[in-house]
Formats: sequence, C-alpha cells, structure tokens
Amino acid sequence: MKEFKYTIKDELGIHARPAGLLVKLVTPFQSKITVDTGAKQADAKKIMALMGAGAKKGTVVTCRAEGPDEEEASAALKKFFEENL
Amino acid sequence: MGLFDVFKKKGIVISAPMTGRCVSIKSVSDPTFSEEILGKGVAIMPEDGRVYAPAGGVITTIFSTGHAVGMTTDDGVELLIHVGIDTVALKGEGFHIIAKEEQKVKKGDLLIEADLEKIKAAGYDVITPIVVCNTAEYSEILGYTDIEVNAGDEILDVKK
Repeated sequence: MKEFKYTIKDELGIHARPAGLLVKLVTPFQSKITVDTGAKQADAKKIMALMGAGAKKGTVVTCRAEGPDEEEASAALKKFFEENL
Repeated sequence: MGLFDVFKKKGIVISAPMTGRCVSIKSVSDPTFSEEILGKGVAIMPEDGRVYAPAGGVITTIFSTGHAVGMTTDDGVELLIHVGIDTVALKGEGFHIIAKEEQKVKKGDLLIEADLEKIKAAGYDVITPIVVCNTAEYSEILGYTDIEVNAGDEILDVKK
C-alpha cells in the first residue's frame, strides 16, 4: 500500500471539475485508490463520492493506493494534487 | 418512431430540475461537461432559478456554496445538478440552499433557489448541466434536447 498526505491549497477545494479530472486520471489504474479527508473516505474512481468528501482549502487529505500498480497510481495522484489542488 | 419502438422498454426516468430550454450537454462551454468527464447528461438554460429534485432519492452532496447538488435516486442513479458554469467561484453569492445532505427527497422538492439575474450580472453563464455521474453503470442514457421544459418534465431516459 502506498500512502501520502496532502494539504489542499486551492481556494475552492475538490469541486466538480477537479473531481471529474481526478476520476479520469485514476480510473485506468487497477489499484484501489481512496482519498480520505478525515471525515469521509472516498473511492477516487467515483465522482459523487469525491465531491461529497468535502475537501476544502486547508483540508489534509490522505491518499491511498493499493494494488498491482500502486506505485504508478500514487505518483500520478500526487502529481495531480500538486498541480491542481 | 418505428413500429417496434412501442415494445422498447423505457428505462429510469429523470425529470427536469428547472424550467427552461433543455439542450445538448455538448453545447456547454465548459469541457468538464461537454466532454462528458463527469458523465452523460443534458443541460438546461433556465428561466427560473428554482431547482427541484428531478427524482425521488437522497441528497448525497450539497456544496456549501449552493451552486451544485448531487443526489442518488431511489433507482441508484447518481445525478449532479450544477447551476451555472464556474459558479463555485461565487462562493454562495446568489444561491440559497434549501435541501440538506442525507435528506430524503421526493421528485419536485425544492433544493436550491438561485438568483439568476444576480449570477448573470456577476458575469456567469447560468446554463445548468444535469449529469449522470455513474454513467458507466448504464448501457444507454438518452436526453430529450432542444425542447422547452417545465420542472418535472422528462429529460433523461437511463437504461440499465
């Protein structure tokens, strides 16, 4: 299992657009990928779950990837967060 | 309509959350919607700012900014109603939230009241995409576009 923490810097947090882009990014990976806001743990392949997780500016999210391609999935996810959120 | 269309089974019906003109999602200026990144659906160019539940179900997400609402219908369809484009940036200005997260709703319950004139005056497009976020779970999603609709009229036919 690969895990990293990230503090949301984007003013608007994970709203519809970043949620859609994130799902698009992680769907091709076989690993189970989750984004945990502390309050809620969302399946990163489900748009509604991600939007509902309530990640706002300042929220510390814990991203986890578990599966055969967890290294690549976690790296891609980390890059996405750093560039977009 | 062909002879055999009569026998085609209708799927899950989703109704219009707002009154206005129902158009193709492809006509929305934001690629997040037009490229169906969030799922298939339609868009309504609203004439009235009141947003009603398009089916019975549970409110899954209501953004604190009031610009969008997500719900899961009793049939399991995950719907996102996104009032206007980039309206997250208004931070709640022009939106009045009525529904609450995890609230059970009936078709036609009032969810959000948007002040369309205020939103337009702030420079935002008020076109409202209605998308099926769990599109991958369905074989076909048909939208009834290029028609004037009243809130409650059928706009989507979602087939298993």
